[in-house]
Amino acid sequence: MSSDSAVQTEHLTKQFKQRIAVDAVSLEVHRGEIFGFLGPNGAGKTTTIAMLLGLIRPTRGRAIVLGHDIQQEPGAALRRVGAMIEAPAFYPYLSGWNNLRVLTRAAGLPDTRIDAVLEIVELQARAHDRFRTYSQGMKQRLAIAATLLAEPELIILDEPTNGLDPAGTVELRSLIRTLAEQGQTIFLCSHQLHEVEQVCRRVAILKQGRVLAQGSVAELLQQRRRVQVRVVASAPRALELLRTVPWIGAVEQQGDLLLVDVAGSRAPEVNALLTRHDIPVAEIRTRTESLEQFFLEITGEQGC
Amino acid sequence: MNLLQAEWIKLSRRPLAWLLLIIFLLLMALFLGIIFLAVGLSDGVFTGGDVRMQIIPREDQLEQFRLMLRFPGIFGTVLSQVNSIGGILAIVLAAGVFGSEYSWGTLRLQLARQPRRGPYLIAKTVALLLFLLLGIGLAMLCGSLLGLFFGAVLGNSGQVSASDLLLLPWRMLRSLYVMLPYVMLTIACCVLGRSVLAGAVGGFLFLAADISVGAFSFLTSMSDTLAFIYNLLVVQQNINTLVVLNSQSYGLDPAIITRNLDLTVLPSPLQAVLVIAVYSGSFFAIAYRLFVRRDLTGAT
Repeated sequence: MSSDSAVQTEHLTKQFKQRIAVDAVSLEVHRGEIFGFLGPNGAGKTTTIAMLLGLIRPTRGRAIVLGHDIQQEPGAALRRVGAMIEAPAFYPYLSGWNNLRVLTRAAGLPDTRIDAVLEIVELQARAHDRFRTYSQGMKQRLAIAATLLAEPELIILDEPTNGLDPAGTVELRSLIRTLAEQGQTIFLCSHQLHEVEQVCRRVAILKQGRVLAQGSVAELLQQRRRVQVRVVASAPRALELLRTVPWIGAVEQQGDLLLVDVAGSRAPEVNALLTRHDIPVAEIRTRTESLEQFFLEITGEQGC
Repeated sequence: MNLLQAEWIKLSRRPLAWLLLIIFLLLMALFLGIIFLAVGLSDGVFTGGDVRMQIIPREDQLEQFRLMLRFPGIFGTVLSQVNSIGGILAIVLAAGVFGSEYSWGTLRLQLARQPRRGPYLIAKTVALLLFLLLGIGLAMLCGSLLGLFFGAVLGNSGQVSASDLLLLPWRMLRSLYVMLPYVMLTIACCVLGRSVLAGAVGGFLFLAADISVGAFSFLTSMSDTLAFIYNLLVVQQNINTLVVLNSQSYGLDPAIITRNLDLTVLPSPLQAVLVIAVYSGSFFAIAYRLFVRRDLTGAT
């Protein structure tokens, strides 16, 4: 296990009776990075997070959090972890301030931390109102404040932008970047792929409990770059030709446009090949997919 | 200690806890008021109207009623109310305190930061028992104030000895101890069913079943062996022993008020303490084991 890792899992598996919710997931999250954890609903993201937090015991495999095995030393592992799981859950009859006080008391932290984190999420004005009177966005802010109480090294955020207005979302994005700049590791689980693409350096994509892809966003998208070729009046012939070339993957025709499954760096070779066979090329360029397109493609989802 | 403080913040600020306490105090005041009315009418304290009692207590019962309103009998009256109505409300409170952690999703919030589940459960249970003890204390205070009022109207407040006062905390603890089996079973049911409803249903079903088994109390008069077995299995018999002990220590005789209560078939105080300890300990051990070992799954 690398000491450079904030989170490392090895074949982490959870089986509920006959259903395998998480299937041999091996992840590595480096210290100080913002890591995106993506997947459609029911992919096993929350179960994985719950195992990282010791709330659920793995059926097989293990998880190391901040250098400590979560099963062997849960106290040491979670001492510097702040986590927000699913919807913000607090005591409805207590004020936001008192809800945080419950957490500081339990953790033996000074109450001064409460004001500090409320200031960060800009919730001081409503700090002494009951939680049940908060809007969804305020509840979300309070949950984020709670994750920051213990000045954590690792922050796990499960759908943190749910309920936030656009301004709040931008602020949160900025906060996440600031925290990462301060050396904190962010494990971000989100459906907002555009959001993830903007803040995360590395991601893992989960479907039906299995990791389908993991790596830096740039590398993953680079792998999926395709060459887009527009030919003049010879599309069927070009299609037939390209399909016979062994170093070219799938070729898809969309009118006079051919999408060629080949690394972007080989675009000149594609161009030369077509020209050699007297197929005029009107336009050739590499097409970069967004993380969202990439996600939809590899998970086979229509949307998320 | 940190965990206990956190649990106390949650419990002491919870409206449900205070609402249940107020309900209990009102019901206790109502009960004392009815006794006061019965005594006042019998003793001719209330005059000026044509007031008649439809149910006239026997003279020995009436004397018990008088003792129940005077010091130190009022202490025994309050403690017997704690162990009747108070026990029912304690089940509701325990179910609310433990079950709502699941329904609100706050348990995951807590345990994601505080992974030592055993100490968490213990702190939560201790906070609940402290609140129940606080409730008993407040009931005693209200009962004492009512006792002073009744004494002023009826012309006899009674007298409190130093030993009555010194032993009061001990007897309050005994009242709390009597509530433990139902409270612990409610906690175990909350953990098992992960809800308020499971806890409340479990607690009340056990209470109802235990009281219903009282129908077989005739077995105790058939042989000593049967009496011994019956008294081991039925918690209510053992509870009755300690409740009666509390009443008797303040000069009250529950057998005069409740005609079908046969004090001779009740188990000894030592056996009562042990049986209650075994039941309470077993229920808490189940709750502890389930709480520590089970996954915290599901959406909030």
